[in-house]
Amino acid sequence: MTDAVEPMAERPQSPLWLLIASAALAIVLLAVAYVQWRQYQLLDSATHYQNDALGWSFSQLETEQLRLRNQVQAGLQGPKPPDREALQLRYDIFVSRIGLIDHQRAARIMADQRSYAPAIALVRAFVADADRLLGEKPTEALTPQTLQQLLDGLDALTVPLHDLSLGASHLLYERATQRNSAVRQQSVLSLALTLSQCVLLLVLTVIVLTQLRTLNERRKNLEALADNLHAARIEAETANRAKSVFLANMSHEIRTPFHGLLGMMSLLQDTGLNAQQQSFLLTAKESANHLLAILNDILDISQLESGKLQVQPETMELPLLVAQVEALMRVQAQSKGLALSVQLEPDVPRWVRADATRLKQILFNLLSNAVKFSEAGSVGLRVATGFGGRIIFSISDTGVGMDAKTLERLFQRFMRADDSPSRRQGGTGLGLEISRDLARLMGGDITVQSEIGRGSVFTVALPLPATAAPTPAQLAPETVAAVRTPGPLRVLVAEDHPVNRAYLEAVLDKLGHDAVFKEDGDGAVRAMHMHEFDVVLMDLHMPGMDGFAAARAIRSMPPPRGRVPIIALTADAFQASRDLARQAGMDGFLTKPAHLPQLREALERHSGIGKAPPSPAAAPRSPQPQSADEIFDPATVDDARQALSPIVYADLLARFFSDQPEALTTLRGAARSANQAALHAQAHSLKGAALNLGLRAVADAAQLVQSATAAGEANGHIETLEHALARSRAHCIRDGLLPG
Amino acid sequence: MSSLPLPLRPVAVPMRRRLVAAALGWPLALSAGAAAALDPPSGKVVLTLTGKVSSGNGPDGTATFDMALLERLPRHSFATRTPWYPNPRRFTGVLLRDLLGAVGSAPARLNAMALNDYRVEIPAEDVARGEAMLAYLLDDQPMSVREKGPLVIIYPFDDKPELRSAVHYSRAIWQLRALDIQ
Repeated sequence: MTDAVEPMAERPQSPLWLLIASAALAIVLLAVAYVQWRQYQLLDSATHYQNDALGWSFSQLETEQLRLRNQVQAGLQGPKPPDREALQLRYDIFVSRIGLIDHQRAARIMADQRSYAPAIALVRAFVADADRLLGEKPTEALTPQTLQQLLDGLDALTVPLHDLSLGASHLLYERATQRNSAVRQQSVLSLALTLSQCVLLLVLTVIVLTQLRTLNERRKNLEALADNLHAARIEAETANRAKSVFLANMSHEIRTPFHGLLGMMSLLQDTGLNAQQQSFLLTAKESANHLLAILNDILDISQLESGKLQVQPETMELPLLVAQVEALMRVQAQSKGLALSVQLEPDVPRWVRADATRLKQILFNLLSNAVKFSEAGSVGLRVATGFGGRIIFSISDTGVGMDAKTLERLFQRFMRADDSPSRRQGGTGLGLEISRDLARLMGGDITVQSEIGRGSVFTVALPLPATAAPTPAQLAPETVAAVRTPGPLRVLVAEDHPVNRAYLEAVLDKLGHDAVFKEDGDGAVRAMHMHEFDVVLMDLHMPGMDGFAAARAIRSMPPPRGRVPIIALTADAFQASRDLARQAGMDGFLTKPAHLPQLREALERHSGIGKAPPSPAAAPRSPQPQSADEIFDPATVDDARQALSPIVYADLLARFFSDQPEALTTLRGAARSANQAALHAQAHSLKGAALNLGLRAVADAAQLVQSATAAGEANGHIETLEHALARSRAHCIRDGLLPG
Repeated sequence: MSSLPLPLRPVAVPMRRRLVAAALGWPLALSAGAAAALDPPSGKVVLTLTGKVSSGNGPDGTATFDMALLERLPRHSFATRTPWYPNPRRFTGVLLRDLLGAVGSAPARLNAMALNDYRVEIPAEDVARGEAMLAYLLDDQPMSVREKGPLVIIYPFDDKPELRSAVHYSRAIWQLRALDIQ
């Protein structure tokens, strides 16, 4: 920054110097102009010529005097009397020349010449005398005597006129010399002035150049500053995005064990508790659900912020969605003694393209708020068609309402209408922001009108294009199979890992379903040809035909077999895998560990039995939950032991560990022969089994092996894996999970 | 030139003169009329034109003027300061261009001669531009020989600064008696 300050401190001096230099230059220019004007005057004056011509005039007078004398003499000596007219003309010319030297100016110039005044007097006297003979009115005749007199007079003039002529010449030389020296002086002056002009110009140029350089430096500094600011902004934005991503990841990570907690609570409910315990458990579940809702909000907002969240419009039945929302909200409203009126205008299209999950989220949020902030009266939902084919959802309440100031800040983060310290109403304060962001993501918006004490109306306007009713094949299984009666399901499981098969067998048995197991995709497809199934659980990564290929093969079968719901099972939770599974025609997606409640919920949802609402807790998306325990995933271990009984779990663990020496050998062989595909498949399979059993350290190590690309790297990771297996086994024995 | 066969004259000269006259913008009839009949002088001859005279009135193709003939030509008048008089003086006379027109000649270089045999050359441009004037009146009075008359050539020195040079002052010849058209 010192670079930027220095030129600025220098700056105020420059204009002063510039001013002084400019003024000096102007003065010099004026002086030059004056000198040149003087020179012009000197050369331009007529007197100047006249003075120069004076010498010529004197010599002309002398010449004319001599010519006249010659003519007079010729008249005297000639045989004929002189020609009066010619003599007269010669005389007149002589007289006319006198005027050129006999005037004030000539007298002034010749003042130094003593001979001037007597000579002029002599000439005047001669003319006065000669005029008697040759004037305009001659009084005397031309006779030899008068001519002789004339000649004598002329002779008397010869010497004085010659002297005058010489004197004038010398004088004029002097004057010419004087003028030349004046011109020389002025030239010198002019030269000096021009020189100073040059110096001043140089000074001025230096000042201007300095100024330019200063300006240039300042511009560069500003540019650098702008660049820095730009970089800083990008950095800040990156940091902010990183924070959002971190928040999203953290919410994920927290949610996973949380689901375990909720699952355990559900299982606990079925274990014959007394009334007090039931009440405790209910409170615990409520708190946990509330916490989960908050987590979901944070996840949504962070995903919205980092741009990860996308709406996925599908053809859906709007009245059905409204009915579902109504069914859920009616309970909430009734519990507070509020009336809920739902009005669906007849012009609203039945089938529209929309992201049902996100649309429900918006409506739930706004209706929950309406219920939350109303103590009495009613809450209403009205669905109508608005301008330009938009669907308008109006959510009205008779609650406390808001003032203008509150309305202004309403959609801001963590802003709550009730901002008092007591905080009567719960919630994260993120709900409205999420709702509005979602609405904007769908191309619409949310507006609000409110009045203190009268209630509020939130209006959601969304461009949901109406579509034709879909063919039954396009319908989600939810709507098609809604009529199925509950009962044991015939489940086809394609899973290559024996431990995972055993795990799933135990879980499905616990849920009361009949399961058929196949070790690869090929077997699963063949089984589909031979038997009828209600649902398929498909591991995505299997040797031979993998899950994607098998799903496509099944989808290519004629209905009803080709329409069987397929749920993907995988140890990774990448969006890319999800998309691939969807493209392959699969309906659901479960990440390992496949906990009992999630498996039950997924089976019920996709096979159409039961009435499980789509839970926001569906399918945890992170395969590797991290907690303080680095060896185990306690939630999964507890879940599995609970679901399968500790004996079955111990048996599975034993089978798992006994398989490993062989698996490690296979891995090492694959690494040695650089068989990337075999290495990947084996590690992936191992990881899936470890996840299902809750062996986190093993799963992590297997993940490392799976992602290894170089042989050396893979060998190192296999080493780690072996170590993790040994440690995990020791811990299992120590913790009593595995008989010693 | 005067010895050229006559038949060419009436055709070639008026044509050229008409062009010059038209270009300079004054009445064609005036100069044409003057050229058509230059009367012989009745009084004392004050000016003789020799050389390329097309329609003269004198012997050997010369043109001679007395004061009356000069006064019949278009008259111009201006006042100017000169090196020879302390005050500005008014000169009246005929432009050399008109004078040449009167004898059927285009503007040309002139050799001017004075009574005292002073000679000076007046270039054709001075004639063509209408700068050089033959003055016969000084302050509306005729000039005697004593007053450097009766004819002088004068330039409007005051109107045109570029004329204020020794060269032009030397062309302002006094006591003019003859012009030789080159």
